Amino acid sequence: MSSFPALRDREDGPGAGLTLLAGGVAVAVLAPLFWVVVRAAEVGPDRALSLLTSGSTVEILGNSVALVAVVTAGSVLVGVPLAVLTTRSDLPGRRFWTVAVSLPLVVPSYIGAFAFVSAFGPTGTIAGALGVPVPTVYGFWGTALVLVLYIYPYVFLTTRAALLSFDGRLVEAARTLGDDRRTAFRRVVLPQIGPAVAAGALLVALYALSDFGTPAIMQLEVFTQAIYVEYGAFRRGFAALLSLQLVAVTLVVLAVESTIEAGDRAAYESQGGRAAARIRLGRWTGPALAFCTLVVGLALLLPLAVLGWWLVRANSYSGFAFEWSFAANSVYASSLAALACVAAALPVAYLSARSDSRLARIVERATYVGYAVPGIVVGLALVSFGIRAVPGLYQTVPLLVFAYVVRFLPVAVGVVRSSVLQVDRSLVEAARILGEPPRGAFRRVVVPLIAPGAVAGGALVFLTAMKELPATLLVSPTGFDTLVTYIWLVQDAGSYGQAAVPALVLVAVSGLSMLVILSRGRYDG
Amino acid sequence: MEWNATRRGFLAGAGSAVVAGCTGLVPANEGTDDGPVTITDFRGSGPLVESRSAPGGTAIADLPDLSGDLTVYLGGGESGLYTTLFDLFERIYPEFSVSVQPAPSSQLANTIIEEHQGGASPADVFIAVDAGSLGAVADAGAAGTLPGEVTDPVPDAFKADNWVGLAGRARAIPYNTEQFSADDIPTDVMAFAEDERFQGTMGWAPTYGAFQAFVTAMRILEGEDRTRQWLKGMLDQNVESKKNEFLISNFVAEGELGAGFANHYYSLRVQRDRQDAPLALAFTENDAGALVNVSGALPVAGTDSSDLVARFVRHLLSAEAQEFFATRTFGYPMIPGVPPVGDLPRVDELSPPDLDLSKLSDLEPTLALLREVGAL
Repeated sequence: MSSFPALRDREDGPGAGLTLLAGGVAVAVLAPLFWVVVRAAEVGPDRALSLLTSGSTVEILGNSVALVAVVTAGSVLVGVPLAVLTTRSDLPGRRFWTVAVSLPLVVPSYIGAFAFVSAFGPTGTIAGALGVPVPTVYGFWGTALVLVLYIYPYVFLTTRAALLSFDGRLVEAARTLGDDRRTAFRRVVLPQIGPAVAAGALLVALYALSDFGTPAIMQLEVFTQAIYVEYGAFRRGFAALLSLQLVAVTLVVLAVESTIEAGDRAAYESQGGRAAARIRLGRWTGPALAFCTLVVGLALLLPLAVLGWWLVRANSYSGFAFEWSFAANSVYASSLAALACVAAALPVAYLSARSDSRLARIVERATYVGYAVPGIVVGLALVSFGIRAVPGLYQTVPLLVFAYVVRFLPVAVGVVRSSVLQVDRSLVEAARILGEPPRGAFRRVVVPLIAPGAVAGGALVFLTAMKELPATLLVSPTGFDTLVTYIWLVQDAGSYGQAAVPALVLVAVSGLSMLVILSRGRYDG
Repeated sequence: MEWNATRRGFLAGAGSAVVAGCTGLVPANEGTDDGPVTITDFRGSGPLVESRSAPGGTAIADLPDLSGDLTVYLGGGESGLYTTLFDLFERIYPEFSVSVQPAPSSQLANTIIEEHQGGASPADVFIAVDAGSLGAVADAGAAGTLPGEVTDPVPDAFKADNWVGLAGRARAIPYNTEQFSADDIPTDVMAFAEDERFQGTMGWAPTYGAFQAFVTAMRILEGEDRTRQWLKGMLDQNVESKKNEFLISNFVAEGELGAGFANHYYSLRVQRDRQDAPLALAFTENDAGALVNVSGALPVAGTDSSDLVARFVRHLLSAEAQEFFATRTFGYPMIPGVPPVGDLPRVDELSPPDLDLSKLSDLEPTLALLREVGAL
């Protein structure tokens, strides 16, 4: 495509304005973390060194890195086959399974892990029913399993989107040229969906690093748990140091993922003319259905069953009654977070999709750091930042929304970026030839094409913000109770019965936003 | 645009109903929230509570009125119950209102310290479930002081310069009355590791926070070596590990365990549900086994409502509020006028160890010790 080099350069070369805007977003979301560095610097170098090289820190580092690796691999092994089955095979009930295997993402991991322990724990329902001891669910493998079950949908969703927009004629071409089905998959399909799988896997990896609830309930010592211990002993400096070490691990993960994703970006542009012939499952239909059933049963039905059990059986003696305004507050703050994240993601995603420059890459990667930092660290950093830099906004909804942007911006960046990558540049060139100025071409061609992606990214941020707990507790306005703060409050007091209704409302509302995300695929089912 | 949403706003509807009820615009039987607030509103219900006589101590009617707005940082645990108590205060004093920021105690302590260093905290009062969080705020200079007349009713062991205890959680020895008599239970917690009578019949919950606080207290009081020795001695006694101390109290009531280590209120919960259970509580004396941890309150430095804060905390130590903690959470009341539920000794009859409760947050050496001896 070199027929209109001049046009292309002007359309393509990201303007200084865009670079500045995207850079500003990156700086803004990194700024609060400055306070983590300040707190860490308060620890003397000798003590810092002894903390970072102590046996327990090294063990924690090992646990965390191993957990990230296992959870990421597990999520790919669950998410990719499910995406292939629901988009490319003749699996019965594909539309149903698409929704069912996406929904575990709306279940907060602290509820999921709790459900898992109540069912499979040493004194749990299953052990009680069987009357024999069951293998322990606590520790490394239990934590890894629970995390995979609740966050593999990130991989499923990104892979599914890539498979839906994938040009099936390429597979047919490969088959025509003599490749068997397996070779065609490896040589044609994998390179095309690879970047999407990697994008989902990145969100999984960083989530596994930042999650506190699951390892805490499953009793595994990882960074987040160690950071909570330090805060609990009021050693904020040590907590900050551990957070910086966690950021260092994050940077390694981001670098590794960069090397995968930096593949052929033009691969994205091949908007599918039509889908390839469906894979006939034949005698594999049964096992495939069993696999889907197992995943949905463990990741969705189990927590719902536990919530139902709470609803009818658990005690409710705490005095603080549920009010629907808590749900309204959750939806309000999460909707604003979705809007703010999409708005902030647009320049970052556009710059990174349209520029190969190192700066664009760094700006995009920088937005992921806040996602990997545990919510309590972001929350306390925003306390320090808010009370000093913007005292007028301290403990207000805008600061809470900003906390969500710091934590969840990359969720939107990833989705919007792949939408931008899929925009066929020849369409933009056509608009330019027809006399549209660059801005007009952007507005009339690019914006409509990336709008569905922006909506899906916003919905993904929405459901992620709906279940965010640690930063919400610290940063929300006084008296601004949300579903999760209420669930935390009554659950902490042992009133599980009272937690059931808000938890079910949370799952239902977030489930609706999942439908928005899934409706983006034009020819599923 | 007003961004600060307060709980008051959400409760405005309920509040106006109360006012309407008081002025006779609504029939008095319209809802339970109507009418004057009496001791019944504060008191819980159930078999352990119904026969109680009127609480001693200073009644709310004899305290200066509450008027104005307070922002309370409310730490963890039973904060839902605290909001019920605040609602009762708001019903008594229509001019008084409380905005609550609930979060885990230690996180709120860190937040107050950050706020104090960066400017001023919006909080007027900090209520925490553990003395460690209160002590951390006080150590950072982020706490104001409470006047003597507010903290006077509380024994010295349960208050410091900046904070005062509101309700206690006493370490206790639940024992099965068919297997032991009260005289069998030593008053020295260290004896449980040596006495042959406790071979193969004791239970503990080493993963449980309250148990770990007890071991932390032992470390501070007896030293690392004696604590290690005690833990090993208990393991040699074949002590049974349970998941939490409610289970321990239940197993003792059923006779599967002869005795155990648990917070006092778990046995009261068992007794509430099964009054004929052969379960009683014993307390050791002046050692870690007699530790009483407290939830407490402190004024946050820089509050411009320090008079109201003092009066508010005094209300939390009133006869009615202490009866509330005693009967609704089975907490240990902090004033001698209000006895705990279940014929337990009054707070001034306990013999807690001489220990700075805020040191209990130093948990890590305890965990290391528990792992070293194989208890975890």
